[in-house]
Amino acid sequence: MSNADYVSLSLASALQRSMDMSAHNMANASTAGYKTMQPLFEAVQPEGTEDTATSYVEDRGMYLDTSQGAFVATGNSLDLALSGPGWLSYQTDGGATAYGRDGRLTINADGQLSTLTGAPVLNQGGAPITLPQAVGQNLTISTDGSITDAEGAVLGQIGIFRVPEADNLVPIGNGLYLYGEAGADITPATDTTVSQGFIEQSNVRPVIELTRLMDIQRAYERAAKLMSDSNDLTRQAIERLGSVI
Amino acid sequence: MKALGIAATGMLAQQTNVDVIANNIANANTTGFKSGRAAFQDLIYQSMRQEGALTSTEGTSRPVGMNVGLGVQSAGVIRLNTQGGLSQTENQLDMAIEGLGFFVVNRPDGTQAYTRAGSFQLSAEGQIVTLDGYEIDPGINVPDNTRQIEINQEGVVMAYVDSDPVPVELGQLTMATFLNEAGMKPIGNNMLEETTASGEPTLVNPGEPGVGIIRQGYLENSNVNIIQQITDLISAQRAYEMNSKAIETADAMLSTANQIK
Repeated sequence: MSNADYVSLSLASALQRSMDMSAHNMANASTAGYKTMQPLFEAVQPEGTEDTATSYVEDRGMYLDTSQGAFVATGNSLDLALSGPGWLSYQTDGGATAYGRDGRLTINADGQLSTLTGAPVLNQGGAPITLPQAVGQNLTISTDGSITDAEGAVLGQIGIFRVPEADNLVPIGNGLYLYGEAGADITPATDTTVSQGFIEQSNVRPVIELTRLMDIQRAYERAAKLMSDSNDLTRQAIERLGSVI
Repeated sequence: MKALGIAATGMLAQQTNVDVIANNIANANTTGFKSGRAAFQDLIYQSMRQEGALTSTEGTSRPVGMNVGLGVQSAGVIRLNTQGGLSQTENQLDMAIEGLGFFVVNRPDGTQAYTRAGSFQLSAEGQIVTLDGYEIDPGINVPDNTRQIEINQEGVVMAYVDSDPVPVELGQLTMATFLNEAGMKPIGNNMLEETTASGEPTLVNPGEPGVGIIRQGYLENSNVNIIQQITDLISAQRAYEMNSKAIETADAMLSTANQIK
């Protein structure tokens, strides 16, 4: 195979990865708090050669589009949506701290506020929030995340944090994202407000994803065409050189 | 390429979504019915390139990783426990709960279930029973020749028997509250069961602090918002179409790959 084949092959495999990512975004169009994933392509030149004309495509990585999702009113007292750049924090099964924007909360068997899959939501100090037995869903969550019962007694405060370079957060599923460097520079967010009775929809934009699909499909066809063309060239060369003799 | 499987999870999720919406719409006129909402979460991710991996012997590391998600899953159906509207029926055994709490129902197998549907009747033995004939707990016997039954907001049941102008107290209705109402399991016939997620029931009298009161002669309507359901149905259909588009595209790409010559 020639360089042209390998260059088009690198494009084709990067596009397949990109297609998987688009399909994942679309599958999660109705997932509350989901952030669109974007692929990151890069031109790679082979090392140690004089060949500067050839560069391959590599899908280097991915990043999150952390833009705000639309709010949907649900009227459920345990649904909350964040407006602003802050993140909620959760405890994973392994005891690590994860971040996310999924505010569809429930109360787990231990009386703790948790996500739908049971990961406890943490307060500003990083501890789970346990609600007293009698409260049930009769509670008010104010814009700063503090929880009060029907009589106005404060039961706790949901922690909202500012995560630097949030677009590099690593998704681990169930609406949770891990921060790479042990959370050292994570500080409480003061510019984010909580709305009770709302959920934040995913920020997947269907039109963008659909056009991206078309783009991927056509680019893939181009890559395939390049491979076929380069193959044709080789075949023609063999035929002509063969006919001279 | 995993796009085919990923898009399939998206289509399955939207099917669940439509099922839940259809159930809501079908129960729009069911007494005490609480609207449900399918909740989705992203599935696990496959790590293609690890972020932080060393890229040179000098200690530089990769700032971004490559994690490809594998689609979406249903995390559950959340019941929206808001108050339904009250409609007046003037039937003296119709009761609506205004606020938190459930009526306790004794099932024939000896276990208890909980309901917000207060359309009660009298059995042949004079017991107050649900439409399925299950006795409400604590059992209340209505004597023969009762002219009128009065139930106050605190759940005290009184009967005017024969021509006696002074009512006889028949009993006190109790209600159950749960720490996590959303964790209760719906079992049909307007009833719910306790689960480990909902916690143990707390028995209370109506009208206690934080607990609902009883309105005699009213029924609680379902809290299904039909307009909301129809708009949700439209967006579910579009999301389904979008995922099928992803399947079409993946299919076209695979067919292109097959045609390389």
